[in-house]
Parts: sequence; C-alpha cells; structure tokens
Amino acid sequence: MLLHLLVLAPFIAAILMVATSKEDPKSSSRLAFLFGIAFVAMSVALIAGGAQTTQAMEWFRIPGAKGPAFYYLYSSSLSSWMVLLSTGLSLVALITARNTTCKNYRNFAIGIFALMGAMNGTFLAGDIVLFFFFFEAMVIPAAVLIAGFGGKERTKSAMTFAIYTLVGSAPMMVALWYVLTKADNSLLLSVITAVQTMDPSAQKAVLICFLLAFMVKTPIFPFHGWQAISYSEAPAPLSAILTGAMSKAGVFGLIVWVLVIFPLDPGVVSTMMWLGLATAVYGALMALRANDAKKLLAFSSMGHLGLAVAGVFSLSESMLPAVLVLLVAHGLSAGAQFLLMGIGERMTGTRELDKLGGLARKTPVFGSLFGFVAVMALAVPGTAGFVGEFGVLLSLWNAGPLPALVAGLCIILSAAYMLRFVQKVIFGEQKCEVADEKRMTALEGSSIAIMAVLLLAFGMHPAFVTKDLNFVSDEAVAEMSKASGTAFAIPAKESDEDLSAAADGVDAVAAPMSEEDFRQLDSNLAANGFSEEERASLIKQLREMDKEEADLNAQADEIDATAKEAAATEAPAAEGGNK
Amino acid sequence: MELQAIYVQILALVIFAIGLIVAISRRNIFFVLMGVELALNAVNLSFVGFAKTLPAAQSVAGQIVPLFAIAVAAAEACVGLAMVIMIFRNRESVDSNDFSNMKG
Amino acid sequence: MTNLPLWFIPLFPLIGTVLLGVIAVISSGSKKGPSEGFIGALAVLFPALAFASVVLLALNMPAEGLRSTLCNWIDIPMLKVDIGFLFDGLSRIMLLFVTGIGTLIALYSIGYMHGDRGFTRFFAYINLFLFSMIVLVLSDSLLLTFLGWEGVGLCSYLLIGFWNHDVNNCKAANKAFIVNRVGDIGFLLGMLVLCTIGGSAILNYDSLAAFIQMIVSGGHVDIVIPFLSLAGLCFFIGCTGKSAQIPLLTWLPDAMAGPTPVSALIHAATMVTSGVYLLARLCSMFVLIPDVLTIITVVGMLTAFWAAVAGLFQNDIKKVLAYSTISQLGYMFMAAGVAAFDASIFHVFTHAFFKAALFLGAGAVIHSLAGEQDMRKMGGLAKKVPVTAGVMLLAFAAIIGLPGFAGFWSKDLILEKLYVSGPMGPFFYGVGLLTAVITAVYMSRLIILTFFGEYRGSKESEKHIHEAPACMLIPMVLLAAGAVGAGYLWAESIGLTTFEQALEPVVGAAQASVIHAAAHVNPMVFAGLGTAAALLGVAIAYVKFGKARIPEAKGSSAPTGKMATWTFLFDIIHGWFVALTNIVAWIVDNCIDKLVQFVQWLIAGIVEILGDGAASFQVRKVRLQLALSVAGVVALVVVVLLTGGLI
Repeated sequence: MLLHLLVLAPFIAAILMVATSKEDPKSSSRLAFLFGIAFVAMSVALIAGGAQTTQAMEWFRIPGAKGPAFYYLYSSSLSSWMVLLSTGLSLVALITARNTTCKNYRNFAIGIFALMGAMNGTFLAGDIVLFFFFFEAMVIPAAVLIAGFGGKERTKSAMTFAIYTLVGSAPMMVALWYVLTKADNSLLLSVITAVQTMDPSAQKAVLICFLLAFMVKTPIFPFHGWQAISYSEAPAPLSAILTGAMSKAGVFGLIVWVLVIFPLDPGVVSTMMWLGLATAVYGALMALRANDAKKLLAFSSMGHLGLAVAGVFSLSESMLPAVLVLLVAHGLSAGAQFLLMGIGERMTGTRELDKLGGLARKTPVFGSLFGFVAVMALAVPGTAGFVGEFGVLLSLWNAGPLPALVAGLCIILSAAYMLRFVQKVIFGEQKCEVADEKRMTALEGSSIAIMAVLLLAFGMHPAFVTKDLNFVSDEAVAEMSKASGTAFAIPAKESDEDLSAAADGVDAVAAPMSEEDFRQLDSNLAANGFSEEERASLIKQLREMDKEEADLNAQADEIDATAKEAAATEAPAAEGGNK
Repeated sequence: MELQAIYVQILALVIFAIGLIVAISRRNIFFVLMGVELALNAVNLSFVGFAKTLPAAQSVAGQIVPLFAIAVAAAEACVGLAMVIMIFRNRESVDSNDFSNMKG
Repeated sequence: MTNLPLWFIPLFPLIGTVLLGVIAVISSGSKKGPSEGFIGALAVLFPALAFASVVLLALNMPAEGLRSTLCNWIDIPMLKVDIGFLFDGLSRIMLLFVTGIGTLIALYSIGYMHGDRGFTRFFAYINLFLFSMIVLVLSDSLLLTFLGWEGVGLCSYLLIGFWNHDVNNCKAANKAFIVNRVGDIGFLLGMLVLCTIGGSAILNYDSLAAFIQMIVSGGHVDIVIPFLSLAGLCFFIGCTGKSAQIPLLTWLPDAMAGPTPVSALIHAATMVTSGVYLLARLCSMFVLIPDVLTIITVVGMLTAFWAAVAGLFQNDIKKVLAYSTISQLGYMFMAAGVAAFDASIFHVFTHAFFKAALFLGAGAVIHSLAGEQDMRKMGGLAKKVPVTAGVMLLAFAAIIGLPGFAGFWSKDLILEKLYVSGPMGPFFYGVGLLTAVITAVYMSRLIILTFFGEYRGSKESEKHIHEAPACMLIPMVLLAAGAVGAGYLWAESIGLTTFEQALEPVVGAAQASVIHAAAHVNPMVFAGLGTAAALLGVAIAYVKFGKARIPEAKGSSAPTGKMATWTFLFDIIHGWFVALTNIVAWIVDNCIDKLVQFVQWLIAGIVEILGDGAASFQVRKVRLQLALSVAGVVALVVVVLLTGGLI
C-alpha cells in the first residue's frame, strides 16, 4: 500500500494542486507543504518498515515480447533511502521555492510532484519495463520546470537536458526489447535468468546499451555534456533535486539493473571503475576553474558521483553500504548547497563568484549555515560523507593502490575547490547589496539545518543507513516467482554471490602460473633462441616467486586469523580495565 | 427490394471523394472543414453498409461504431470550428494559402 | 572510588561548542552581542571542567590505563570500528596539558578578544578545537583519532580565517587546510594499508600492539615489514602535515594570520604536536621499521635546522615564533626518529609551556601596541610592560636551554639520545647543537629588538602603550611558571624521572626493543655543551643586534632577497604543485572539455543538417500537403495490393 501511495499519490497531488490559486503562492504553498510532509512521512515509514512488496499486476504486453510487463513495486533498503532523498529534497525545494519562484508557484509545485512520483517509481519498480517507463518519465517534468523557471538560457538548457538524456536511454530501450523477447516476463528475476543464458556477444551489446543510459544520467565522464548547463540554468531548488535525487537514478540503475543482472567480466568492471575515477578527477578540476557558483556545485556533484560509481565497480564486500552512505550524504549535502546557493542568488542577484563575497558579515545566519554545509560537503570525519568516502576508498584500495591514490587526490582537490567556493561567497569584502526582503527565512534556514544535522547524525551513527542491507527481499522473490509461475531457485542472496563471483574473476587474473603456463613460456623462450640453461634458471626463478607469494598469502591468512583472536581476547581485558 | 451492399459502398465512395476533393481544392478553410466532415460521414456510411451484410447479431457492432464516430466527430467539429474562428480572429483571413507557419 | 566515565572529558567542550555556537548564531543579527562577561565565563567553564575531570581521572589511573568503549561507530563488512577511549600514561600527559593550557588560553582570550564582533563565535571555535584535540589524544583507535585529527585541522582553518573580511587571512586558512589535507590523505592511506594486513580490527591501538607482538613472536616479521614500512611512511606524511615538517610546513608561518591566542594554543602548544603524539602512540609499529625511523630523524633534523635559520630573518614577532615552533618540532621528530619517544613527548610537554608563554607574551606586546607586529618598530618595552617582559624572559631562558629551565632538561635529553643512537648519532648531535646555537641567536634577537634599546615606533603610539589586563597576565604568569618548573619532572642528572616512569607502560617495551650502545660520555658533558651553545648564541646576538642600529622599517615585514628565498623555499616548491594543478585544470577545461563539447556540437550539427534536408521536402501550401499525403496513402495501398496484401 505504502509503495503504491509513494508512486501514485504524487501524481494525484499534482492534479490536486491545479485546484489551488495561481496568483497567491501563500495559499498554494500551504497545500504543497502538506503533501510534501506527508510524502516524507511515508518514506520514513518505508525505511522503518523494512522491505516491502506489492502484488504483481499484469500491465500490458509488448509486441514481440514473450511475456507481459507487470505493474510491480518492491522496496529494498537501497531504494527506500533513495525515495527518502527524493521526497525530502522535494519538500525542502518546495519550501525554498516559495520565495525564489514567487510567480506561478502552483505550477512549480505541480512539476515537482510529478517529478517526485516519477523518481519514486524509478527507485521502487521491480519490473524492468516499469523502471524504464519512470526512468524516462522523470525527464519530462524536469525539462518543463527548467524551461519554465530557469535562468537566462533556460530554453536551450531544457532542450539539451531532455534530448541528451532521452537519446542516451534510447539504445537501452532497444536492448530492453531484445531482452524481453528472451525473458519469460519483465520482472527482475526473469530478466536475470534470461540475461545469464544469453550468448556472450548479445549479452555484451545489451550491457553496453544499459551502461550508456545510466552513464548519461549519472553523468559519467564523456557523457556529461548536459549536466553543467542544466544544473546552472535550472532554478536552484530543482537543481537540488536533480543532483540530490535524480542523478542517483543513474547510480541506482548501475547497481540494481546492471550489477545484479549481468555476469560481469573484469574488463568492463575495471573500465567502469576508471571511468568513474576519471569523472571524479575531471569534476574536481573543472570545479576548481568554474566561476559560476552553480556550475561549480554541478561539477562537484559530478566528482562525487564519479567516486561513487568507481566504488560500485570496485566490487568489494563493503561496496554497497559504503556507496549507499556516500549517495545519501551527497544527496543531502549537495542538495543543501544548491538550495543555499539559490537563496544566495536571490539575495544578491548574481551567482558569479567574482561578484559575490562578504555574505558572512552581512547575513551571518546564512553565512554560518553555508559554512556548516560546506564543511559537511568536505567529508570531515564525523559527517556522513566521511564514512562513505572512507568506505569507498577502502573498496578501491582492495582493487589496487592506484585507484585509491587517485581517489585520495580527488579528496584533496575537493577541499581546494570547496574552500575557494566558501571564501569567494561568504568571506572577504562585501561586493554586492543584499535586499532585506529577500533574506533567508526562518523556515528555509531550519529545513536546511535539519539536512545538515542529519548528515552529522549519519556520520556519527551510520548504522541508521547501513544496517540490514539487501538488494531483493525474500518476499519480493516469492512474489515474483508467483507472478511468473516459475519458482526461482535463486535465493535472495544471489546478488551477493554474483558480486563475489565477479570479484573472483578479477582475482583469477593475478592467480599463480600453472604448469601449463610454464610449458608455454618454455616453448616461447626456446623459439626466441634462449639456451637450455637460461630457460631452466628463468623458470626456476619464476616458480620460486610464485611459491613465495603463495606462502605469503597463506601466512597472511594465518596472521589474520590470529589477529582476530588477539583482538577477541583483548576486548574483555579492556572491559576489565575499565572497572 | 433488398438494397445491395455494393451500392451503399459506391455511394460512400462518391461522398468520400467529394469530401476529399473539397478539402483539397477549396481555399476557404470553412469549406475544408466541411469537406473533412463529409469524408468522415462517408466512412460512417460505409460502416453501416458493411454491417448490413452480416447477420443481425453481429451487425450491431457495425452500427454502433458509427454512433461513436458521430459523437467524436461532433467534438472534433467543435474544436475545429473554434480553431478556425481563432485563426480568423488572429489573421483576418480564411484563406488556407495564408497559413504556412508550420513550415519549419 | 568509581571513576568518572571517560567520555565526560570530550563532552564538556562539546556542550560548550553547541551552546556558544547557538548563542553566536542567534545573537549574530543584533547590533550589540551578548554580554562578554557571561560568554567569557561559559567559554572558560567548559575547558576548566574538562581539565578538572582529567585531573580527577589522572589521580586515580591504574598503571595499565583506563579503557571504555562507548558504542559502535561504523559497521560495514570490511570496516568495523567502535567509538572507544583509552586513557593511559601517554594520553594522560597530553590531556593534562591540552586541557590545562586550553583553559588558561581561553581565559587569556577574554582579554585579547575584548570588543571583537565575533567574540562568541571565537569561543565556540576554541571549544570545538578542544573537543577535537581531546578526541584525538583520548581515542583508542586510529579512525577516531583521525576524527580529531581532521577536526583540529578544521578548527585551525576556522580560527586562522577568523577575521574573514580580509581575503589574505582566508587564503592563509585555505592553505593550512589544503596542505593539511595532503597529509591527511597520507594518514588515510596508512589506515588502508593496515586494514589490508590485519583487517579493520587492528585500527584499534591495543589490537595493533597485540598484532605486532604476535608477528614478532611468531617470526613473521619479514613478511609484514614492507606493509608496515609503507603504513609507517604514510602516517609520517600525515604527521608532517599536521606538525609542519618538511615538506608540508608552509602553512604554519601563514597561520599566524589568526588571533594570537590561537597561535599559542593551536599552532604552538597542542595541535602541531599531534604528529609527535601519533608517532609515540604507534611506537610499537615504528620500532620495527628502522628505515622509516631514519627518514623521520633526517627530516626532523633538516626541518629543525632550516626553520631555525629562517627564524633569523623574520621581522614579524609572530613569524619568528612560528619558525621557532617548526624548529622545535623538528627536535621532537629527531627524538622520535631515534626511538626516544618518551624524550620527544617530554619536549612536547615543556615546549607547550614555554612556547605558549612566548606567544601569549607576544600577544600582550601586540595588544599593548594596538596591533603592531613588526619588531623593527618596537624596542625598550621592558620598562613599559614589565610583567610581560618578565614572562617572556623566563620563557626565553627555557627555550634556549639555560640550565635549570624546562627547555634545558628536555632539549639536552634529546641531544643525548641522538648522540647514543648509533653510528650516525654524533652527526645528528652536531646538527642539533648547531641548531641550538641558532635558536639562541634568533630568540635573543627577538628579546633585544622588542624589550631593550630605544622605542622605535612613532611618538604618538608611545603614549598608548599599556600593560595587559589581569585576565591576560594571570595565564601568562602561570605558563611562565610552567616554563621554569616543568623540566623537573624528568631531570635525570638530579635523579628525577617521574615523566619517564609515567610513559614507561606505553612506550617502554617498544623502546627497549631498539638496543642502543651504552653511552660512554659523562652526562655532564652534554649539559655543559648545551649550556655553552645557548650562551654562545646569546653572545652572538648581543654583539650583532645589541648595539647595532636597527634599520628603518620600510614596507612589509617579510624578508627580502636571499633571505626570502631561504624562507619561502618550500612555498616556492608548493607553488610548482599548485601551478601544475592549475595547468592541468586549464588543459582539462580548455582542451578536453572543449573537445567533448565539440564532439557534441558535431553530432548535433550533423543531425540538424539532416533534419534541414528532410524539412525541405515539406511544401509550403497546406492544401498541397494534404493532397500529397492522400496521394501517398493511395500509393501505399496500390503497392500493398500489387505485392499481395499485408498478410
């Protein structure tokens, strides 16, 4: 029921908003806030209630597909948190937009509710056709809102945004149709079965189409062309939603609709990881040079999401919780920053960094909040960003020292651009007048402050977010089996095993050389004119190296085990010491 | 005398052709609209004519569909006339040759 | 008697931070801030309560220390860390002087910051700093230490840029944070390396020690040495950032842009010594990796020498003290590098007193001269501000190591340990002694230029010179007393070794594992040489600066010419890296991004051209369009019929 409400009720709310006054933002905002609060309450209930699932209802049949598409929703912890981001950010956006887009607030609210419904649908869909439907549907209200409420180049940016993202997911639609001709129906588990049994070349083509759609939406490095202009031209509350919740749809898709479905070969995994890192570096460097405050934030978001994608494709054990915390932290902090920058733009009438400055003196409360949120975005330990970044760093370190170093570089660069940003906006000489009636209101301030406090709370106790993580609950598996009429023998944990299998694939590359390899090497050397003794000694050396490594691994394992023992014995002693 | 189905169809065809020709050849948009209506009704007639060839139980469907079509056509005529009036107000002209805004 | 829970200690400053922060934000709108007396009382109360609880705990501490785990912090598959505290000999000493000096400096700040617009905000930051610093030294795991580690860095950023209407202060603050961030990444990577060899469990100090003991006893040392060396190196990079060692030291002189109490508390007494603390905390790991220890010694030696020479060239009174701090930190690192962790912590301890006293004295001088920091415009102040001069003189005696003062005991101890450390020992000792001479020279120069001779400022300003108020003088006097007496906690030559015994349970075992050749030199020789070095330095300074005419102060107080090259050597090197980053960013912005945009434009252009071509099929007349479409339908029907229908 909750799931249906979260997906469908926003659309109903959008329709109801039509009934409110167009001229008077006060009265229409009251209804909008009411709805917004109700949705936030629902998504909190969703998180508190644990995994849920609806009855799978047959929706329609796609020509050529083997089975029907279902209207089927289920929630996992990952999707519930994404839903909270979408509803929460929408609420705060509605609050700040009242004074920012005074004229025609009603239409703005209608658009926001439609966007929220589409985003919730994207995160909660358990059927790939439904997912794709909402994934595309998100673009339309967002583009309309940009075109209606944006800055100077709003038409151009709305067009760029809509065309880029729709074209990006067009190949996915084709691939999707192809998958559906193979799958019994379009539910997640049937799709998994179908994809796993596809022949490798088709599988790879489908994978690339899927990846493309999600990479455009996130965005990942070469496909980021729409991002900066859309985020900077969109009204700030909308930018907050776009970066805080909608861009997460890309990462979410990569996790749920790519990692879970496809058997991944190491080549694709490492390519994606490096693309993610390249995005992170690229975003940080571009943010260093940006002179438009919202462009800077856009590039900073891009950098963080790049890091998240790199983390996803590090495929370590702690990937999911770390990335989830990182996403939640980024959603809250980047969202808050965009909202604050929107208020700053309203107060000063500009968002060029060179023309801003000294806001801390003139509007101290705004300045404090701005600084506070910037510190959250810096991922100082104790904030949720740190838990996420450290977890991702740990995952990347397991993939190799170089990715971790690059990620470390990004963290340094992020400090550099964020401090520059803070310095240019709130410190220094005051360069622009602040209109008194356009200052931050108490309601805006407190709602953004709540986001900042949440970041602190998640940072000090990330278990709020990370406990009981799963992709697909048992109930969801049962429901999907019932709907498709075949019992899926795969347990709910199949996704984890899937991941570890892929990780094993990575390991296999570095495995010691087998006898076969040695023989091969020997004949190669002989062909290249090495003498008998030379070959023998070379191979002997190689064998010894291998053996040492194996020993080392074994010993390291042993040490590991004893270390844990030691830690275990240490703990009671420590408690004893306290008495 | 039992009406032969083919004559109904011939009549429908003739009316359709008249409608189409009117729609294409007249410059006054009111006539264009009338031509379109004529063509639409010709199709209704064709429907009923074919329905007559079927046994009674099945012919009902063929007779109901034109009823729907008439209802839709009424709505369409409303919208169409309203549009024509708006266009006339804005452009002070009912000559379809004057309207080429759609050309990209 | 049951002990206080350990988390009480950080709790007090945290309450203070939240309370003062809220008051600061609420009152920021009003013209006249809240009553300074009330805020000041709050601001001193919480550090004082923390100090009181530390003292209470310190008195009742069992030999093996107190441990308590508060709750779970992070619990994800590869990373399980608790929030726990460890109160042992090392953290006891650190906490005692951190909270003690923190309280004194908070008291001093009430006078120094009087009338400032951000009075409340300042104390909120100070309380936050104390919270972070307490967490840093009290935590029982590396990750929680890192929370404090970045927390103090953040507070340092906030306080350096406290007067944020001046962009230069902000830039200094940014520099401090970013340079520290570079070091922090080292710390992070170090933790990652440790996680690889033992899982996240060994981020806990006790588990780490147990782990290391186990591999030593199990004979697996050779396998983990490469990892441990890498981790040690990474942690050392973290330490160079926080403790301003080569190569990450450029931020500390710039950090003097902050209010003077901040320089005293953060950039002299407490935060900058956290690197030394970390080395001592991880001593059991560092003694296994002698190569890294050698690097630490060499870096410490170079830093000590370089900064001492740079200190000679400064005209700004706070800059002299900043370089002196770097130099003294170099001593501490040298000591840690020869595995004399207790000696390095001892120097941290004494240095905290005399350097805080020096900074507070300098602050009082600046306060009395209404903000003047250039020593060339001072002089003859001993008569005008006698108490400040007395405090400064006592601290001066301590830092140059006159016998009996605190610095004498700790510095001589370090030099002695350096000498016996191994084949390179005498060389290290020699450089250390030379640095001691230079230290004496620049400190004497500071004292002579400030307090003796004739007043060189304008006649106008001379009338306003006044002694600081009592709330500033009391902390200064107390710290000066510390600068005189702190050394007697470990005065080996007269048989006092309280300090060594206090640290014995923490670092004793590790230090014992590094066997040094027994000293064949009479300790009195070291003492004599040290004293001679100090006296020699004073004499040189007296000859050079005592009588000489001080050049007229022109322009800024920054050194020029070759002196500038020496002073800003590392700034120049950092500048290269910044320039490199900027060039790369420029390339990314102007080449790569433009390329991506060009490709986008190209695709869009091709599509547009195709679209235009298709659009030209469209005819202008509506009726013709209609006719054509009808013709098209007819054509389709004909084709379908001719080819045999749809089905």
